Amino acid sequence: MAFSFTYYLREFFRLEWLRKFLFVRTAPLAIPSYFRNFPELTGKTCTHHLFCMMACPAPGAIDVIRTPEGWHPRIHQGHCIRCGLCVEACPNGVLTSGRILETMFFDNTALSFSFRIDVDTERCMGCGNCAVACPVNKLIDPQMSHGGRASTDELLLKVSEGKCKVLHVEKCTGCKICEDHCPNEAISVARLLEAVHAPEEEP
Amino acid sequence: MSLLQKVKNFVRSKSIHVAYVDVGSCNGCDIEVLACLSPRYDIEQYGIYVHNNPREADILLVIGAYTPGWEEKLRSLWDKIPDPKVAIAIGNCPISGCVFNRPHSLIDPPVAKHIPIAAQVPGCPPRPTEILSAVLAMAPVVFKDYEVKKR
Repeated sequence: MAFSFTYYLREFFRLEWLRKFLFVRTAPLAIPSYFRNFPELTGKTCTHHLFCMMACPAPGAIDVIRTPEGWHPRIHQGHCIRCGLCVEACPNGVLTSGRILETMFFDNTALSFSFRIDVDTERCMGCGNCAVACPVNKLIDPQMSHGGRASTDELLLKVSEGKCKVLHVEKCTGCKICEDHCPNEAISVARLLEAVHAPEEEP
Repeated sequence: MSLLQKVKNFVRSKSIHVAYVDVGSCNGCDIEVLACLSPRYDIEQYGIYVHNNPREADILLVIGAYTPGWEEKLRSLWDKIPDPKVAIAIGNCPISGCVFNRPHSLIDPPVAKHIPIAAQVPGCPPRPTEILSAVLAMAPVVFKDYEVKKR
């Protein structure tokens, strides 16, 4: 008789059963390699485009520092939220995290960026801090005086008639330095990130 | 080491009482702490018991970015925990404020400014395995030979 009283006793007083009952643990607490973890360096060369810092939603989670070997992104644990946007944004594949790079390769996806700059004319005092701080402006017109007045119209931002004017929004790289330098919170940059499928190759 | 101390060490390694307090988080980390209780992770098999009573807790899990409502409350809650005690910051918020740490937000991170924090578990939210391994790694450091170290 399979389910008799003696069977019951023999089953539950086996040493094996007692050992399992007292000492068994759930599966080892290891994080699989395909989980999205804190981004790590792949060893490819960083070209200092700063797309990672621009795409990052958490303040202070990533910065790119200069070492004797070249530019070098750093992830700050305690700030990083492991969203993986820096991995997707990087044009050179410097960072890796989980299966993001493989998925992007097989699905042929990429992130596309566009930016919108809004100037609150009620608050703007025309001080020109934004135009002077803008790194894109610095490349176009290094001679720009304080106050943000310049002769050329090729600039991204310019002060004219006492207000900041956005001239070429397509030149914006989304660094938000103008926001940090505005004393009156008049300027705000909106970053529009879109995942696009099958991006066209640059000619 | 006396026999009594050995017994105490053994008992404390199998019985860790945890209280958690949310000082203003988005509840993501709370859910991960609750996931530790689920059968998949099952912290009770490691002898960790979750209460919400600081008077019977050994370990305090602090979750959240410290909103003004907690100004005096967190300190008094920490004082209520009997020695030996330790506080672990769970998630990015008690470490840095994470995505809430922006101009004009009413938070005051890090929590280490307000109560002593012994360990930090980064992540937004951290995985249940990470919370569990932090608690398990912290417990022997604090509770082993506590009476010997105090002297």
